[in-house]
Amino acid sequence: MAHNFRSDVAIDWCPGCGDFGIVTGLTQALSELNYGPNDVVAVSGIGCSGKTPHYLNIAGVHTLHGRSIPYATGVKLANPRLKVIVTSGDGDMLSIGAGHFVAEGRRNTGLTIILYDNEVYGLTKGQAAPTMALGERTKGLSKPNIYGKVNPITLALSSGYSFVARGFSFDTKHLKDLVKKALVHEGSSFIDVLQPCPTYNNINTMEWYKSRVYKIDDEKGWDPVVLPDTPAQKVNEKFNNAYSRGLEWEDKIPIGVFFDNRAIPSFVKRIAENVPDYLTNPPSDQIVAGPDGFTNVDPFKTFADRVI
Amino acid sequence: MSNIDLNLSVGGPQGGGIDTSSNMISRAFASSGYNVLGVREFHSNIKGRHSYVHLRIKQERPRSLKYPLDFLVALDPDTIFEHLDDVSTGSTVIYDKNDESSELSQARMIMRDTFKRINSTLQENGFELNVKGALELMKKRGARIVGIPFSKVVEGVELDGPATRYANVLGASLTLSIIGLDRKFTKGSLKHIFGSKEKVIELNGKVVDAAYDYCSENKLSGKTLADKDAPPRMLLTGNDAAALGKIMGGLRFQTYYPITPASDESAILEEHEHIKWLSSENEMLTKGGITVVQTEDELSAITMAEGAALTGARTATATSGPGFSLMAEAISFAGIDEIPVVITLYQRGGPSTGLPTRNGQADLMFALNTGHGEFPKMVMSSGDVEECIYDSMSALNYAQRYQLPVIHLIDKNLANTSDFVPKIDTRLVKVDHALKTEHRDDFKRYTLNTDNGISPMGYFGKDIFWMTGDEHDELGHVTEDPVIRDQMMVKRFRKLQLAAEEIPDSEKVLVYGKKDAKITFITWGSQKGVVLDVIEALKARGIEANLLYLRMFEPFPSKFVQDFLSKAGTVIDVESNMTGQAAKVIRMNTGIEITNFILKYNGRHITEDELVSATKEIVGKKNKTVVLENGA
Repeated sequence: MAHNFRSDVAIDWCPGCGDFGIVTGLTQALSELNYGPNDVVAVSGIGCSGKTPHYLNIAGVHTLHGRSIPYATGVKLANPRLKVIVTSGDGDMLSIGAGHFVAEGRRNTGLTIILYDNEVYGLTKGQAAPTMALGERTKGLSKPNIYGKVNPITLALSSGYSFVARGFSFDTKHLKDLVKKALVHEGSSFIDVLQPCPTYNNINTMEWYKSRVYKIDDEKGWDPVVLPDTPAQKVNEKFNNAYSRGLEWEDKIPIGVFFDNRAIPSFVKRIAENVPDYLTNPPSDQIVAGPDGFTNVDPFKTFADRVI
Repeated sequence: MSNIDLNLSVGGPQGGGIDTSSNMISRAFASSGYNVLGVREFHSNIKGRHSYVHLRIKQERPRSLKYPLDFLVALDPDTIFEHLDDVSTGSTVIYDKNDESSELSQARMIMRDTFKRINSTLQENGFELNVKGALELMKKRGARIVGIPFSKVVEGVELDGPATRYANVLGASLTLSIIGLDRKFTKGSLKHIFGSKEKVIELNGKVVDAAYDYCSENKLSGKTLADKDAPPRMLLTGNDAAALGKIMGGLRFQTYYPITPASDESAILEEHEHIKWLSSENEMLTKGGITVVQTEDELSAITMAEGAALTGARTATATSGPGFSLMAEAISFAGIDEIPVVITLYQRGGPSTGLPTRNGQADLMFALNTGHGEFPKMVMSSGDVEECIYDSMSALNYAQRYQLPVIHLIDKNLANTSDFVPKIDTRLVKVDHALKTEHRDDFKRYTLNTDNGISPMGYFGKDIFWMTGDEHDELGHVTEDPVIRDQMMVKRFRKLQLAAEEIPDSEKVLVYGKKDAKITFITWGSQKGVVLDVIEALKARGIEANLLYLRMFEPFPSKFVQDFLSKAGTVIDVESNMTGQAAKVIRMNTGIEITNFILKYNGRHITEDELVSATKEIVGKKNKTVVLENGA
């Protein structure tokens, strides 16, 4: 029987919250991929999104504000067999965690990152998050937003993420398919999930999104996939297409896979090239002592260049 | 002259190959059977500013350094100026004769304030403001001045590039020849340093020959020193030792963000990422290695290490003060979630970026108090290269055994000290594992059903459990229940109590010297060696002293320290900080107040001579606090 990926912890998100759709899409994707309970680990930061691991019946860490990516990277690099899912909010990932978000693009570790994007800091009463547009004034704000907006899609592309997609939490089936694609992608995958906050964001509501989102995957000729033999010029073209679609907002908002580059080696693979047997005997599995419990390292052999 | 005791400094511009000179001298002496202790001093600068190494050479293992110097080897004019006050009667100054006409005003790489000081020293003594004047002052102070025209020595030797490129090898060779070390050892050192680079070894070998020939032609060669028998030894710095200890202790995942003086350790680990094992019997043991990750910042370094620890890998990170500040929040997280992780904290001069490449021991209180809230952590410290090896192993063990963050303090002085380690006992420290779960379906990572506070450890990929920075229940889910909160706090702190009970006092504190001595020194970290040497120096003058040497600050050996100090005579606290932090910790834990201090916070290493005279001041009741000032 397939594993039940939903834990028995009661969910305390607000009624009508977009986060519910993400948990549904996520658990369905894990079931459909037939993963075992010990194949997957969930890592989150702080905020409403941060609670996600507790709602999943897999091992999970609800980490520090902004630090979900490095925690997840540590898990993945120490045991590359694991599928590591990062669930993080827009404030958590693109403000306090922005440095890690960019660094992770450069690493392309092999994480699956899901951004809970509702433009506000829900758990601290609706302050403007980095994805909110300049001048916007949601009901939690006493003045219009004084910051400009970060675009998660183009930022992810610029940072080097090899799989970049956007989903909508009220289209669970589509979101589930995106998560499945992201999970089987070898490098790092990023999904920006439009996830309305019914309590604090009275502008970008479910209805607001519903009337705007469209699926790029349905378009004829849309092919975001880069393979190892794709010519450089074609890669550029696909990247540029992804980038310009990523800039679309307001009247029409694209969801689907923007870019899927399968030619860039993951960080896990890059390490495996330097450290012999890294994949078959990763840090998590290594025997570090002899049968007698003492070190199995010969210091003089190890540091032969320092022996006189 | 077989029982030598030489203090020697080689100075030159940063980037001018001082490390090579130092290595040549150390290795040449080592292969002829002597021991060398060395400390590297340098500016936060890539090329040009004054850098030097201070070496002490003896047949027994030297533990400290001393002024005045027996030999000052100046590879540039700045060195003559900077070390003006380090020579005295009996010192030999070896320098490039071509530098003689250099004016002080041309020495642009000397720091402004240092420049002013040198300027007034020369002026007040009535000497010219140039190298010649400085040398005359040194001569007046009793030094023997040996000017050698460097370019002339290598004239006719076919080199690859200008002769100045070989100044470091030439300077070292001239010095070794003048001291009287056989040429074969000097040449042999090149093989150690340049490894398989045959051509480089050959070229530098010619420089060595030219130096030795010049000295013999000019009657400068010293009386040949007798060879000594010595077993194979390792020449290690504190950085090397910490890396080696971590490898032996089972480290398999290390993260770091570049920072002086910590990054060297990670670079060494990276070089040894493929482990050469002792045993080839078990095929499993021949496979594997260490994953070293250079992260985007220190927040990432510590959290990535914690993430890796959750899979069962033994993990650590290494940093210095500013980076450690950034790690505080995550150390608190490791506290509440009982994550085994080691933070090797290389202290340097603060606050802020302070003295980035200089010594300091001012992060003790910060290490003890790091992180918000109350949680158990361990804080330990190493005092010499050899200790660093075993302590790095123990730190990994303690992290595993008690499931908590362990902060291992090393200071810059120790990190950049090179010392010979004759043998390493691989059976001195056993590799301890965490108490593991049996992979049950109803696994409670934070079970309260434990007497000693230690719950079985679960690993991602093998067990299902949760973790949160919030207070949690036995499964690891968020709770704010007041009863569970209390129970979890008690459970966590019970581990520290267990550590206090289980770890023998000898790993926390050591006493050297006679128990009933009139003077008791207290110190920690790299001052251990110099205090031990001072105790011997005082003994030679009929004064009995001992040392209370602190190795672990949390859990603190309160009872032992209290018993010992309550019977002690004159107690003197020796530290490289301004506020006597170890003395504060002692007062906190024992109620005993220490009133005599010898402190140094100018970033330089403490030398034997200055510690002896400071001790005399305190014993003679001239002062209760003496601040040491040596250093170039």
